[in-house]
Amino acid sequence: MSEQLYLCMHAAEFPAQALLRLRPEMQPQPIAVLEGRAPLEVVCALNRHAERRGAVCGMTRLEAEAIAGLRLLPRSTQSEAAARAVVRECAAYYSPRIEAASYGTACSYVLDIAGTGRLFGPPEKLAERLRAVLAAAGFRVSIAVSANFHTARLKAANSRSVTVIPEGEEAAQLSKLPLASLVLTPDHAETFAIWGIRTLGELAALPETDLIARLGQQARMWRSLARGEQAHTFQPIEPEFALKEFCEFETPVEEMESLLFVGARMIDCLVARAASRALSLASLTVEMKLDGGQMHCGAIRPALASTDRKFLLKLLQLEFAAHPPQAAVLAFSLGAEAGQSSKVQLGLFAPQTPEPSRLDVTIARLKAIAGEDRVGSPVLEDSNRPGSFRMSQFVVSVTTSTAKTDNPRTALRRMRPPVPVLVTMQGGEPRRFRDAERSFEITAAYGPWRTSGCWWSTDGWDVEEWDVLATTRQDTTRLATTRQETSIACLLMRDHAQNAWQLVAIYD
Amino acid sequence: MTSATALRIQIEHALERRFPSALTPVPRTIRETAATGIAVVDALLEGGLPVGAISEVVGQQSSGRTSLTLSFLAHRTQDGQVTAWVDATDAFDPESAAANGVSLRQLLWVRCGSGGTATKNKPWTRLDQAIRSTDLLLQAGGFAAIVLDLGGTAPEHANRIPLATWFRFRQAADRTRCCLVVLGEQAYAQSSAALVVECVPRQAMTEGETVLTGFSFEVRRERQRLLHNAQGIRKAPASTWSAACGWAQEERA
Repeated sequence: MSEQLYLCMHAAEFPAQALLRLRPEMQPQPIAVLEGRAPLEVVCALNRHAERRGAVCGMTRLEAEAIAGLRLLPRSTQSEAAARAVVRECAAYYSPRIEAASYGTACSYVLDIAGTGRLFGPPEKLAERLRAVLAAAGFRVSIAVSANFHTARLKAANSRSVTVIPEGEEAAQLSKLPLASLVLTPDHAETFAIWGIRTLGELAALPETDLIARLGQQARMWRSLARGEQAHTFQPIEPEFALKEFCEFETPVEEMESLLFVGARMIDCLVARAASRALSLASLTVEMKLDGGQMHCGAIRPALASTDRKFLLKLLQLEFAAHPPQAAVLAFSLGAEAGQSSKVQLGLFAPQTPEPSRLDVTIARLKAIAGEDRVGSPVLEDSNRPGSFRMSQFVVSVTTSTAKTDNPRTALRRMRPPVPVLVTMQGGEPRRFRDAERSFEITAAYGPWRTSGCWWSTDGWDVEEWDVLATTRQDTTRLATTRQETSIACLLMRDHAQNAWQLVAIYD
Repeated sequence: MTSATALRIQIEHALERRFPSALTPVPRTIRETAATGIAVVDALLEGGLPVGAISEVVGQQSSGRTSLTLSFLAHRTQDGQVTAWVDATDAFDPESAAANGVSLRQLLWVRCGSGGTATKNKPWTRLDQAIRSTDLLLQAGGFAAIVLDLGGTAPEHANRIPLATWFRFRQAADRTRCCLVVLGEQAYAQSSAALVVECVPRQAMTEGETVLTGFSFEVRRERQRLLHNAQGIRKAPASTWSAACGWAQEERA
């Protein structure tokens, strides 16, 4: 018994399948895919519903438009490339040795499955499992298993289900296939037609010597192909592991719900592919081609790598809400970076902290409410500029501080932006000030505390600060019949560059 | 069964219609508290602010309410807890927080106001953002303390927050064991608040009449539910505490 065993999977009408796999709502409709330049476009692929309506490959656009109900889509090479990567990814789970055998508009891969019986069971079982996996990814494929490489390839291309060819029965299985299964030149095809040879079985029955004498050495190869005896040196490809999905729309899409519908399907595929390698999605990259030629990009980086579809979809939805594209979307691409599956070790005595994945969603929602750069942890700048800080991403870090501060410090409440005030000076000290609404009598002023810096750049500062205790009279009733004296402690700042006074903070 | 126990059961049985369990002590709910870090305030509040409940720290400007809240947050973050500050008027000062010992890495700061869905000069939008943000944080869980800072919000606006919102916050805080501290000029949560503390300014402390070194404040316990030693209606108990300015700390170091 031969030690070789090949499995060929063949996805016919691949341009149509690549376009429809991410859009299940279009799958029950008759679809034809056009290629070529307008107005000379021709149909290059179609689905079964379109076949039933009478559409065939090679029809012109005018002929296709004459068929009632037939929906025409432009061919997308990027969608096909992404779809091929998905098919390869699915196949790679069953065998590391894969050879590309695609021709025309079909997508075919041949797997060397010799020795996989103990892992996946008999070839029939393996073929059914692979077919189910590809069906879940949105592909309809036919599969043939044979000890001969070309037999598997030819049989898969001419059947619609799973076929396992026992060793020694290759010729019998191929005998009924049409001669067009072989790649013949038009002259040779015509010669065979004149001879009345229409099937591979009829070609295999011809005497080898006479055939070579009339058609040359290539006829020998055709005959051995037809008999299932052609030898082949396997040339495996190195599948590149890239998590990327692409979808091109036939009309510009404006509704976020439609994009999310496609995005959900893409996330499903990305998660399934990453999970098949025991990986998770560490980050997602969103790229959109907009109407008008612009590109819209975005990134989602969860705190922990995840395979939770709902969680990732929610983050995608919040990303769309926070950064909506400025125009209708023509094409949508979703890439992912694989990461190790997240494991969080909880401690019995560790304080309870927010769940990282849930916190990501919460922070994204908070950013949608308050603003992108207004949610996070404050970080003090290494500067003497009063009130300088920056916002950073909030990350849960459980660290217990050993340096405990027992002496409370007086806090400031900043006025953002600072309130411009008019200050009356007396004896070099501020005596009263007023803003747009109230006037204050200063009872005590401490200062000035002068600071300056960055004088060499445009954002330099030169200010003096005064700590002041002030009183004001304000209405305590709605009718303003009684006025109560209230006192505040605040920080006044004089900007020397602009010679302006501001109320920058209140001690509280 | 001893004779005393039998007698007690007999008396309770006889008085059951009028006084159920007349001689059996009522089981007491011990409310967990979190220290504020200020000894006199913790003594006044019998341990600190209640965990899993709403506490209101009220007072006018310069009354020490922000300093008291920051001191409380500092103790929570020093224990490794995660906290949040929902800032309705964008008045939070990170330098003051750091000076009080708050670990800024463990503090989530939500700055309501401009950006997002807010527009300038619309207090309703800011308030709406703050309420929605607090709601989200409470629902997320895991935060040991959340401060809803309404200190710069006018009472006529903050008073319009529906009671149903405070009730929902109380329920969520109880479920997630979170201390929800509401900072404002007045008490807004009404019956949903487990504790109301009023802050009153006392006097400024100076050094040689030239340098401001700190302030002293008074804290009054206006309301405290589930108090262990419940007392009748009388004058609210108060304590006085002081907070130094940041530069006074540097001088000591």
